[in-house]
Parts: sequence; structure tokens; C-alpha cells
Amino acid sequence: MSESPIYLDYAATTPIDPGVAQALSEALCDETAIANPSSVHRAGRLSAARVATAAEQVASLLGCEPGQLIWTSGATEADNLAIAGAARYRADRGRHLVTMPTEHKAVTDMFQALEKEGFDVTWLAPGPDGLLDIDLLEQALTEKTQLVSIMHVNNETGVVQDIEAIGELCRSRDVLYHVDAAQSAGKLPIDLRRMPIDLLSLTAHKFYGPKGIGALYVADRPGCHVEPLLFGGGQQRSLRPGTLPVPLIIALGKAAEIARERQASDLEHATRLRAALWDGIKGVEGLLLNGHPTAHYPGIVNVSVGDVDGESLLLDLEPLCVATGSACNSKNQEPSYVLRSMGRSDDEAEGAIRVSFGRMSTIEDVEQAASIYVDAVSRLRQLAPAA
Amino acid sequence: MTGDPYSSEVRSLFKAPAHAGSTTGPSARIDAQGVSVELSAEAHDCRLETVRFRVRGCPHLIAAAEVLCSDLEGQPVTTLESPFGADIMRRLSVPVEKTGRILVLEDTATLLARKL
Repeated sequence: MSESPIYLDYAATTPIDPGVAQALSEALCDETAIANPSSVHRAGRLSAARVATAAEQVASLLGCEPGQLIWTSGATEADNLAIAGAARYRADRGRHLVTMPTEHKAVTDMFQALEKEGFDVTWLAPGPDGLLDIDLLEQALTEKTQLVSIMHVNNETGVVQDIEAIGELCRSRDVLYHVDAAQSAGKLPIDLRRMPIDLLSLTAHKFYGPKGIGALYVADRPGCHVEPLLFGGGQQRSLRPGTLPVPLIIALGKAAEIARERQASDLEHATRLRAALWDGIKGVEGLLLNGHPTAHYPGIVNVSVGDVDGESLLLDLEPLCVATGSACNSKNQEPSYVLRSMGRSDDEAEGAIRVSFGRMSTIEDVEQAASIYVDAVSRLRQLAPAA
Repeated sequence: MTGDPYSSEVRSLFKAPAHAGSTTGPSARIDAQGVSVELSAEAHDCRLETVRFRVRGCPHLIAAAEVLCSDLEGQPVTTLESPFGADIMRRLSVPVEKTGRILVLEDTATLLARKL
């Protein structure tokens, strides 16, 4: 436990960018950011101006209008608001919804809650590479369908869905399309003026911003609206009331500004790191890539070996900070539902490791990770009885 | 640091299990509860001289197998049939939800006793 950790769990949360940290730190004590932006006095108007600037920065990253954004506490709340809010808003038109079992829990759990409310949910299985077959989606849509929610980049596998094709299909059938972009916002190009997306969730802490702040984009078009989950105060057109956390919003704006400037170079860097990691581990016998060989975000690599216990592997990988395919530290020993949905066996899912990296990661980090991984798999195989 | 699911003893036994491997003596293996446990032993005059293990399982199980093998050496063969699981779980602070895995280790020891 004394070795310095090598942090390769960027898909869980990224370190904060120094520029964002500085903006946040300054905002916490800045007289232009201390007041409630809903207040009409001068200090309140100054805070409101800072919030407006941040909205412009986020809108610029996404290619939308500042007024189309609702601030939330993060992607979980944004996902919940988008899904429950849109489903309930359009419930009188139909109660059929579509999603995938490989979505983040913030999405799947919300859909399960809506099923208990009487909504009918179709769960589209991915292919073994994690991708959605668009024909399956087309077949699933009915005249009762009101909402489709399919994420951009999968948080466990890095698989990138074709959100433009999905959006076009939904638009042609007058179905709202929600995208959980928690893993892609700030990392992959998103242009909401061009892309047929109605609702999009993001969170700052996945792209070098602070935890506790996110946003939901709601397209400005007929039939696209969400009912609120929270009540009281009337802020944000009563769609998400509550006093705005101005310093966090300023930090989110700064993270968006930096991400926009660095998107191409960050992506290039992640691609180089992925190649170095893969070069180091590809010789492991029986290694499986969980995900798509080309339709992926390069900063997330998920691999399995079916004959090694995931929990032991995770411990043997120290000082690497990576994620296992199973949440089996002690209480929850279920293998990853995402990998199981992709057809991986329990053993393969339990032996899965997600390595995720980004802006602050180095080639040395991933080369060391590869070396530690190879050694750990080899040692645990030697410890195990013959197959 | 808080929330570490492993004691320092478990970490140490997991990282350097001195009794990992096989003997030339009889062996017993059980695959159950998502784990594989194999024990082998050499005995002389009804006493266990050498005991080794192979495990595919979690760190607690590997540590438990190491403790078991270490404790068994020099003991009568009949010790293999003693119920040791509860003691090892206490010593290593094995989470209760892993009881089934420790019982697999116990059952494998009992099976080995019948082969010696």
C-alpha cells in the first residue's frame, strides 16, 4: 500500500484540470460569484452574469444555445430528469420507451422505476461488440414509443454508439432521443445544432471539472420538454429549482472551454496511450477485448481473461488504480451486467479489467500498467489449479 | 486509509504464499461457488509432512489456503477433517458473504483426508 498509485480510472472520474481548479478556487471567494444569481440586486446580477458566461462556454462545446441547458448536480440527475421528465411529459401520447441493458445505472435504474409506474420498456440487447444494431431499434419502435435513451460512449467498454443514426431514426418517427454523454462530452466532437438529439446529459467531473455539477441539454422544438423532478423556488424555469452553485457552474464552464480547445490533442494523446497499452498486453494468452475494435473511445480499454479471479487480479495490480469488471470488493460479487449483456461468461466478466486514462496520463503510466497486468495474470494462473 | 477490505495479514499471505504449488502425494480438488481449490499432501506415519494448495479465487481464499497449509504441516492426517473454517475466517476477517468459499476449502481438506 506504500507504492504511489498510478491513477488509470479516468472513466470513474478525472483529475481536475489545474486551470479549472484555479477558476473554482477564485470563484469561491470572488465577489462576482458569491451571490444568489436569482437575486435582483447588483451582486446577484454579477453572479447571474458569471452563470451566463459558463452557459455560453458549455453551449459552445456542445454546439447549442446557452438557454437550452439546465444545470444539475451531475449526469445521474440529468439522466433521471431527461428520462423520467420526458416520459411523464409525453405519457398521454404513449407509454413505450426504449433503451439498452448496457446503459449506466443512472439510466437503467430510472427505466426500471418507470416500469413500476406502468411504462412499457423495451431493452435492446447489444451485439457481442457492444454496438446497437440499428435495425433492432427500428423494429422496436411503435406508435406508442415516446423516448429512446442510448448512450454515446459506454462507461465500461468505451464503445461508441452511432448517435447520429439513432437520432435520425428517432426524429423520423417523432420519438425523443436522449443521450447520456457523461463519457463523451468534452472528449469527442458533439454538435447539437447538427445532430438530431433532443436530450443530452453531461457531468463536469468526467472531463477535468469538479464533482457535483452537470447539465442537461433540452432541444428547443415542439414536443420536447421535461417535467421536473424537484419542486420549489422556480429557478431554471422551474424545471430544476434550487439555488445555483455558481462557483461549480463557473468551473464547469472553464472545463468546457479547456476541453473545446484541447479536444483534438487530448484525443490524439489517448489514442497513443491506448496503442502503448495494447502493445504491452496483447500477448497475454486468452486475452479478450471487451468492446468494439474500432468504434471506441480510445481512453477506455476493457479486457478479460476468463481463467483469473477478478478480485485477486485487482489486488495484484496494485499500485494501479483501475476498475474491475465485477464490483466484488466484498458485498457485491455480481459480474458486470454490461459485459454479461454483451454475451461474456461470468468468468470472463469477473476477470475483466477497465483501464481508463486521459489528459494527465503518461506513456510511462500505461507501459507500467501493461507490465504489471502481464505479471499479475501470469502469477495468478500459476497459483490456480490446472484448467 | 479506511475501507480496505483486506487486512495486512491477508495482503501479505496473498502476495507471497509460501505453500502455493503441489506435492507428489495425493490431491483433492473441488470446483464450486465460482472458485477452484486443490490441496495435495505428503504424509508419513499418519502425520502431514508437506501440504500445498492451488486456488483460483479471491484474495481471502488464497490467504486462507496459505494459513491452512501452514497450520496443517506436522499435524495428524485426521486434522484435515477438523472444522477450521470459522477460525480462519475470524483470523483473516473474511467477510461473511465469502463463507461459502471457505467451506469449499474445508470440504477439499476433508476430501484429501480420505485419499491419504
